[in-house]
Amino acid sequence: MLESRSTPPRVWLFAALALATAVVVIIGPTLFDRFTLNVLTRSMIYAMLAVTVDILWGYTGILTFGQAAFFGTGAYASAMVLSHLGASPALMVLALALAIIVPVLLGAFVGWLSFGHGSTPLYATVISLVVPIVVTQLVFSGGVWTGSSSGLVGYSGLPLGLPGYFRLTGICLIVTTLVALVFTRSDAGKLLVAIRDNEARCAYLGLDPQRLKIVLTTILAGVAGVAGFLYANASGVVAPENTGFVFGTEIVIWTALGGRGTIIGPVMGAIGIDYLSAQLSGDLPFLWNLVVGSLFVVMIILLPNGLAQLARMVLPRRNGEQASQPGCPTLTAEPAGNGSQPGNRVLAVSGLGKSFGSLQVLQGIDLDVHPGELVSLVGPNGAGKTTLLRCLSDGTEATTGTVTIAGQDISGMTPDEIVALGVGRKFQVASVFDSLTVADCLRMARASRKAPSLLRRSAMLGLPAAAADILRSTGLDRMLGRPVSLLSHGQKQSLELAMVVALEPKLILLDEPTAGLTKVERTTIGATLQKLTGELGFAAILVEHDLDFVRNISTRIVVLHQGKLVLDGSVDQVVNSEVVRTIYSGGAHA
Amino acid sequence: MMLLLDMVTTAAILFIVAAGLLAIFGVLKIINFAHGAWLTIGAYCAVATAGLGLNPWLALPIAFAVGAVLGGITELVIVRPLYRRPLDAILATWGLGIVIGQLITLWFGRDVQFTPNLLSGTVDVFGVGYSLYRLFAVAAALVIGLAFTFLLEGTRLGLSAQAVIMNEMLARALGIDTARVRLATFMIGTGLAALAGVLLTPLTSIDPNMGVAWLIGSFMLVMVAGSSFSTLAIACLVFGGAQVLVSTFVSPIFGGITVAVLCALVLRISPKGFARA
Repeated sequence: MLESRSTPPRVWLFAALALATAVVVIIGPTLFDRFTLNVLTRSMIYAMLAVTVDILWGYTGILTFGQAAFFGTGAYASAMVLSHLGASPALMVLALALAIIVPVLLGAFVGWLSFGHGSTPLYATVISLVVPIVVTQLVFSGGVWTGSSSGLVGYSGLPLGLPGYFRLTGICLIVTTLVALVFTRSDAGKLLVAIRDNEARCAYLGLDPQRLKIVLTTILAGVAGVAGFLYANASGVVAPENTGFVFGTEIVIWTALGGRGTIIGPVMGAIGIDYLSAQLSGDLPFLWNLVVGSLFVVMIILLPNGLAQLARMVLPRRNGEQASQPGCPTLTAEPAGNGSQPGNRVLAVSGLGKSFGSLQVLQGIDLDVHPGELVSLVGPNGAGKTTLLRCLSDGTEATTGTVTIAGQDISGMTPDEIVALGVGRKFQVASVFDSLTVADCLRMARASRKAPSLLRRSAMLGLPAAAADILRSTGLDRMLGRPVSLLSHGQKQSLELAMVVALEPKLILLDEPTAGLTKVERTTIGATLQKLTGELGFAAILVEHDLDFVRNISTRIVVLHQGKLVLDGSVDQVVNSEVVRTIYSGGAHA
Repeated sequence: MMLLLDMVTTAAILFIVAAGLLAIFGVLKIINFAHGAWLTIGAYCAVATAGLGLNPWLALPIAFAVGAVLGGITELVIVRPLYRRPLDAILATWGLGIVIGQLITLWFGRDVQFTPNLLSGTVDVFGVGYSLYRLFAVAAALVIGLAFTFLLEGTRLGLSAQAVIMNEMLARALGIDTARVRLATFMIGTGLAALAGVLLTPLTSIDPNMGVAWLIGSFMLVMVAGSSFSTLAIACLVFGGAQVLVSTFVSPIFGGITVAVLCALVLRISPKGFARA
């Protein structure tokens, strides 16, 4: 739903809109009365904040009330310089600099606090509630420095006058909006949606979602600080309410009503609601808030994507579902990276153990894997197969023993760092990005190698030959522009495999890649795996239940039973062994 | 001595205020951001009871009933569609809080209201005079805590609720009407919140936005406590105690944010809060 390919008409539409708005902003002061100008100036500053909330919440999925704190810090930093030091040009520059630097530092700290390895989305929201409260209390306790509960007033700001402020904020808003639009529609912008959709997958594509979120929080704190600077100048007063969490919730309400994940919607929402509030609250003070509150509740329940969703339903779709048309990128071949040297071990596991409390799930696992091998991991349910894969792809999992990948001990490493060593993991349930297109998903897989463009949507999709082969053999190459949500179960499995292969890993971990697939799809995946290992020198570990399938494609089979490695040998050795027969017929079960 | 009493009574008040939120979060995994509004509803029930010339103690059952009925309607209309979207549920209940605040303003006006004291005067505790009402709050907290323990451990509803907490899918597969458990839990939670509102009236001023001040503190305590009333009690004692200490020895302004800041730090170190300890 959130996708809109930047086909030329779109670009022109944005440009025309921006131009029209610019004209309004320039001639506005001659059209509106003082009251309207005042209110609209404030509304446009708020709209800048709504854009930042939209990027964080609408695109990246982080519900935040904290933008108010960054806005307030920026406003107070400016107002304190202007009140206590003066408003000479040099000090004005200092005020602006501090209005950016202080929120940025605070933002970096808040980001670090909110997004640790393994912290939940709710925790970030919790922190975003606490920060404005703390800032407000600091303002209250600031005495003459912050003006305490009465705030700061009566300082001189930029010598612009009302029309000047109106134009300045208008231009700032247009710039903010355009930058946000370009960014969210760029290749890099898709990363935000990818994080919102499936953070684990991002990490297993070698990206560091937590760090990206910290960076995003930091930058947007700076933007909120600039808005605070404008506010402190234009309104001539800053008050504790400007930093508070209630203000933070208001920004979220504007964003939600306008339509999250659209940038334009939240801008309209902020301006529309704040302007109407100012107009109507004189006549209907409590009724107006009642109306906004009720509308908000109804909207969240029935129209989670806001008025923009309504507009989209009413307006005829212009570029509808033309799946593989202009926006669809062309496939290009990427030169293959340096393959691993045959002979060297890709993976060496020794004495690996994993326990949950007193429950020993894995113990004493020793395993070596060389390039070109396709090792199948079999064993009954609960034998520890998936746990073993997890220990190989996340260095914080194993309890005892060592795992060495390409010569490096992975203990304590996070999944994205292990991906960088050359491990790709395919999950049991296809783990892809549902709101993205096929091409965008594949691009995410390349993002850790080549930073995606912040500005452009590329018309090319460069993939290593092995990944492109998977697309061709499964027909996905003809669906590059199609949203992933429209793919079948089997197509999603193939897409995920292609994404993992596009990482150019030395070692691929696959957890039941054929579960729920048709016979034909199974054969295709089997052939692909054989080609990857046999011809291209990848190593693969495959967890699989289907013994026939395993027998046909494996070079080696490893049997796990009750957390122990009971057999490691060639296909014939294992298939004909007594042990396997006993385990599978249930004889060895306790 | 005084300090110790302050710490215990503050913890008791925090416990009373947070209990309703915990009941809902524990079972439903939904954060009721309209919790503050329910506290306000309770307080205004006390105002209305006093206005009718009834015994002020009657406000307690009245508030519980009003809170539960309104909570039932809320669960059916607003919360039920949002169980799969917990972040949206925070927003929708916050919006509801705004609506309730405005309705109360339209009805009662935005001025501060006063109610007759439930209990006045002081008693001697180890030679110091101490507010009788604050001591009563400790008793009230104990009653609420014990009642809940009984409800969870000793009744069919409690057993079903525990099943829903542990594994909702399985609970449903075993024939437990999870929708009804949710409705009942939500009603109890909101009823308790309204009850807490009445109990707050002698301690704070009553105005349409009084609940918001209490919301964040109780929200943070519940985040730390997880889904158990005993951990909530521990959290209230630890953080309420810290709040009193900071207010007394540092500054009352920082005392006001002690609970929130300490809870945030605890959650950063141990994402499950006290639930694991």
